[in-house]
Amino acid sequence: MNDISHFIQFFFSGITTGSIYALIAVSLVIVYKVSQLICFAQGEFFVFGALIMTTLTQKGVPMPLAFALAIFIAVCMGAIIQQALIRPIQGSSVGALIVMTIAISIALRGLALIVWGRESHILQPFTQGEPLHILGASLQLQVLWIFGITVIVLLMIWYFFEKTSLGIAMRACAENALGARLMGINVLKAELFAWAWGAGIGALAGAVVAPLLFMQYTSGVMPMVKGFIAMSIGGLNNIAGSVMAGFLLGLVESYTIGTISSKFSDTIVFILLMVVLIFKPTGLFSKS
Amino acid sequence: MRKLAFFIVSVFFIMLVIPQMALAQSQKTYKIGGIFSLTGYLSWLGEYKKKAAELKVGIINKAGGINGVPLELISYDDMSSPEQASKVAQRLISKDNVVAMTGTASVPISGAVASMANRYKIPTIINSGYAVDTSKDPYLFNTSHKTDFAVITAFRYFHKKGITKLALLMPIGPLGELGSSVARKYAKEYSVTIIGEEKFDVKSPDVTTQLAKIRTMNPQAIFSFTTGEPAALIARNMEQLNIKVPFLVSHGNANPGFLKLVANIKTEMLVPSGKVMKPEALLDSDPTKKIIIDFNKSHLEKYKEPANYFSAELADAIDLIAEGLKVVGKADPIKLRDAIENIKNFPAMQGVYNFTAKDHHGTKPDDMILLTIKAGKWELPK
Repeated sequence: MNDISHFIQFFFSGITTGSIYALIAVSLVIVYKVSQLICFAQGEFFVFGALIMTTLTQKGVPMPLAFALAIFIAVCMGAIIQQALIRPIQGSSVGALIVMTIAISIALRGLALIVWGRESHILQPFTQGEPLHILGASLQLQVLWIFGITVIVLLMIWYFFEKTSLGIAMRACAENALGARLMGINVLKAELFAWAWGAGIGALAGAVVAPLLFMQYTSGVMPMVKGFIAMSIGGLNNIAGSVMAGFLLGLVESYTIGTISSKFSDTIVFILLMVVLIFKPTGLFSKS
Repeated sequence: MRKLAFFIVSVFFIMLVIPQMALAQSQKTYKIGGIFSLTGYLSWLGEYKKKAAELKVGIINKAGGINGVPLELISYDDMSSPEQASKVAQRLISKDNVVAMTGTASVPISGAVASMANRYKIPTIINSGYAVDTSKDPYLFNTSHKTDFAVITAFRYFHKKGITKLALLMPIGPLGELGSSVARKYAKEYSVTIIGEEKFDVKSPDVTTQLAKIRTMNPQAIFSFTTGEPAALIARNMEQLNIKVPFLVSHGNANPGFLKLVANIKTEMLVPSGKVMKPEALLDSDPTKKIIIDFNKSHLEKYKEPANYFSAELADAIDLIAEGLKVVGKADPIKLRDAIENIKNFPAMQGVYNFTAKDHHGTKPDDMILLTIKAGKWELPK
């Protein structure tokens, strides 16, 4: 194995971890874009997506159907949670809302413990087969799935927010809720929609990433933290930016581990975050 | 008026005396405190430990207890956190008045409980990688085999197989440092050269970067002193990078949960273990064989799964406390500590215990075996 294959392997490792961070970051941004709220329960939707899909495939449900069902169940969960727990305290301070999302996160983790127990669960890759070997480096086929699905999700989100009237209305809610309301936009409906799809995309991330990990009820904590960092680096409002930041984070971690030392990977990530927050607080990839 | 006074005095008398009587009644058991990780990241092994402790207490009580006095296990969840473990240890000691404690699932948790045990002089049989130094921890015993024994068991196999070049891939933190230092301590004795060392974060979802670096060193085996998901992840990434050398992991992996995690991974695993995982491979002359088979049978009947390494640790801890209580004959923690320290030639599941004032582990390297996994089953490596 020569230096080039070394560097390609670091790259593959970086995009593998980066893809996980990127998808979680997208689900965080969707909720934030509409309700200006960071939902700390996204890590749990990630876990629910993964574990629902694992359970369904083990029960013999075909993979595409299990995938769709996992997302559908999470969408319903997101909608119910928004209606039952977020909407009644909608007028409260941001602090109260954030504490509520943390409470939801802990409650969902407890629910996952009851449903799936303490053990780790394994989901088979979407396509079986040998890893892809390129110039002496290797990449798991599942990463290609993650890549493809991320691109599709991004295109759909872009189309929704830019081209559909509901999407434009949702953006308006975030920018000026009162103004939007005066224009006859149903802000409550927009927030319900954002929560439902935020949960759905969190679950999609979990389902598509699960074959790379060993999923258990606490598996959402690490991706949530890293997804949040990616979101902060990429710009809280910026979907494409947070995806790029997610991949950037994965690559920075991997090259730090590969060329300096594993001990510094988290340190360098946090330095990067601090530098961005000081010099470009609106996010590395935002225009303003 | 006098009647009323008599009535009030009577009520006070009843209120004071009846609880005392109830307390006296409840003291007719020997209380043992169990500290188990039932939630949090170590919960997968805490459950095994609690079940085995409950089963063993049940078996001893069914056979008449300790000279007619039954054991009572009072268990709490430490939530996989040393701080919480410290709190529940305090509660067990000051509120529940236990005569001994057992449990704990990791080095930091054991450390937290150890300081409580020593401060309040309560004999405590832990089961983790925590190395008991009797000069600092006189009240602590450990039924988990020493890390040294696990490494010696594997290095003996390497020596036999002519494996001399070993690469280390250690988790960042105290566990990785422990594994690394013990591997370096015994390398020379078994003609093993440590050709390089990489570190990884146990929460990382991919370690191919570190493995790519290790691959350039051409090792004949890789050793990672880690347990559970991170160990399985390394095995999976080794398969991905086509690294076909044996992969040695910690003895904490000798359990059915790990077998499921690596079921579809082709990497050759080496797992040091107690004899509990493969009793049928033991000689009939081995004093632990019958004990393991009998306990396994009860475990299978009660929980529909065989006992594993963690079950054996707890079954032995309860057994050793019971043996000490038989000698002492009353709930006296200080005398119980001395009695446990004096236990000699005591066959149990993890080996034949011989405690001394300087050795509170009591077992030896020969009490361990080395396992590999073939077709989803534990086997002895050829």
